Amino acid sequence: MAEQTNETYANGALLPGDIAVASARLVLTRWVAGALVIALTAAGVHLLRLPLPERELYLTGAAILGYNTVLAWAGRRIDRLSPTNHLRRVQRFVLVQVGLDWLSMAVFLHLTGGITSPAIPLFVIHMLMVSILLPGRSSYVYVALGLIALGTIAGLEAGGVLRHITVIPSLPGRLQRDPVYILAQVSFFAIAAFATVHLATLIMIRLRQRERQLSALLSTAQAVSSTLSLADVWAQLARSAARALSCHKASIRVLDETGDRIPMVAAYGLSDAYRNKGEVSLSGSPLDREAMAGHAVLVPNAASDARIQFPVEVAAEGIGSILVVPIIGRERTLGVLRVYAAQPDRFTPDDIGLVQAIARQGAVAMENAMAHDALHMSEKARALFVRTVTHELRAPVSGAQSLLRVMVRGMTGDVSPQQRDILNRVSSRLDFLMDLIGDLLALAATKTGEMQDRPQPQPLQPALRRTVELHANEAEEKRIRVGLSLPSEELLVLATADGLVQIFGNLIGNAVKYTPARGSVDVRLSRQDDRAVVEIADTGIGIPAGDLPNLWEEFYRASNARGSDIRGTGLGLSIVKRLVETFGGSVRVHSVEGRGTTFTVSLPLLHSKPDA
Amino acid sequence: MAKILIIDDDPDMILASRIPLEAAGHSVAEARNGSEGLKRIREQRPDLIVLDVMMDSATEGFQLALNLRSREPDSEYAAFRDIPILMLTAIHTTTPLRFGPEEDYLPVDDFVEKPIDPDILVKKVTALLKK
Repeated sequence: MAEQTNETYANGALLPGDIAVASARLVLTRWVAGALVIALTAAGVHLLRLPLPERELYLTGAAILGYNTVLAWAGRRIDRLSPTNHLRRVQRFVLVQVGLDWLSMAVFLHLTGGITSPAIPLFVIHMLMVSILLPGRSSYVYVALGLIALGTIAGLEAGGVLRHITVIPSLPGRLQRDPVYILAQVSFFAIAAFATVHLATLIMIRLRQRERQLSALLSTAQAVSSTLSLADVWAQLARSAARALSCHKASIRVLDETGDRIPMVAAYGLSDAYRNKGEVSLSGSPLDREAMAGHAVLVPNAASDARIQFPVEVAAEGIGSILVVPIIGRERTLGVLRVYAAQPDRFTPDDIGLVQAIARQGAVAMENAMAHDALHMSEKARALFVRTVTHELRAPVSGAQSLLRVMVRGMTGDVSPQQRDILNRVSSRLDFLMDLIGDLLALAATKTGEMQDRPQPQPLQPALRRTVELHANEAEEKRIRVGLSLPSEELLVLATADGLVQIFGNLIGNAVKYTPARGSVDVRLSRQDDRAVVEIADTGIGIPAGDLPNLWEEFYRASNARGSDIRGTGLGLSIVKRLVETFGGSVRVHSVEGRGTTFTVSLPLLHSKPDA
Repeated sequence: MAKILIIDDDPDMILASRIPLEAAGHSVAEARNGSEGLKRIREQRPDLIVLDVMMDSATEGFQLALNLRSREPDSEYAAFRDIPILMLTAIHTTTPLRFGPEEDYLPVDDFVEKPIDPDILVKKVTALLKK
């Protein structure tokens, strides 16, 4: 609908909505008019004792009300038509209405005294209404038709073809045959009618222009704010500007980082040849220089304007006049918006104001899109930083640890027991440092939300199976039984593969780590309504009740874990909580010190596939 | 017993690999980057390559392995595509299988994780040489 609106309105023309409103308003007014004819007749006959043709006037009033009933019914039917058929049908419908009104007006004039009728000014009111409701030229046609009606009635009555009805007894009996009187009445009626309609039409054209501008601004605002991609904003802006002025061509040029070149970044309706006509720079283009200084520049006649840099291409493109306005951002002028028209002298001062307003909206949208791009770039830069740090921090620790292991294994000669103990301690500290680097980076990644992959549907079963396998060796060394219970139904959650490994790796790793030898760890996956629930239960050292509230804090370790020899960064559970929450889930802990701990992770289920 | 080429930009890693491999009786050559690695491969035709995943760029190791294993008929490394490759990875311990051997696009035979465990390195090298 908005599309169509944009396409069909030209300067001062009616919008389809206007015609429908006009049609409805005519019907409403006619109820009043019909009723008034009847009421005034009654009043004239019974109160003023005027010699009115009572029966004919009542009939006229009744006829008006009668055909208005039919019109009201027809109007409701037309409203239900599809938009494509709608416009033409409504236009024709309004013409029928105006035609019928013209006829009843003529009859009413005749019945109230023809050229001597005191009701003549009513005709002007009707003309005024038509000129408000219908587009410019048709109201002048209607004035002419009204004049013809009055002239014809006067002529027919003067010639005796039509009976003259005297409604005001004191008027001279032959007044309707007086050529001076007739001429004077018709002339002043004509002057009054044309002047009124002309003034009303001028006002209506201005009103419609304002309405059109408002509507163009509104659709521009909607178009340019519907996207955060800079290229889309440019394209929408060019399109909106061209359509607002009912032109077929527009372009956007944006100053690049050289501060001189001003390449075309979006074009609407321009040929490829024109778009690629050559590089435009501020130093070479006085038009753009002036516009970039903040002024709207009008080229009324492109064919003969010395400021045009590519006159041949402009002529080949069929461009008659150009309007260039600056796109002014908060801190600087971003670029220029150009609208091209085929005719010379096409743009009015109103057009300039409108395009400037459109450009201002475009500037806001462009700056939003640019800020969005900048944010995206800084996220990418941060992700790169994290990856670089990962490598730079780990490489030296990893090198040192690798060398140390060679020495511990006696591959560089015998090592005394005390040396071995020291080397083992150093090695253990390096292992811890590796864990810490890994956890810190994982935590940083969850905090900035910059996971390497986007969350995707992931089946939980393989992730759990893999994680349990990873800890099998460690569990075996401690003679810990690890049970894994998985449902046959595949459970999918929206997560990253890395994220799931982090979550379950930390929880299952902790379970194995904090469970003494010969204990057990049970991993159970189940479906509870629309959630996948993973329970990791161990028979480990448990968590003291006093530590539970702080368990998820960074670097926090339960007192019994801190007191043990078991290594830990205190970051694992913070990472787990953040990741689980990132994936829309929750994690709970239940623990009895000395008996064991159960962690329960609940993730929203994506959907489940039936077993193959 | 076997000629082994270690390609890694970290001299500590080279040393940490060289000592256990030489102790196991292998002769070890080294290269500090991808292009030097390819040169040594052509000159010496090693029996096995120990390749670092990340060298100058984050994917240099992968790239080298891909070149070496190219199935293009006119590949200049066609004569070397059967040399076993053992890749050193520096991936965090919780995501060791991120570039696991089951992934088709990684044309290497096995992985050793950094920090290097010398026993595991020697075991995997021995296993690959037997194949």
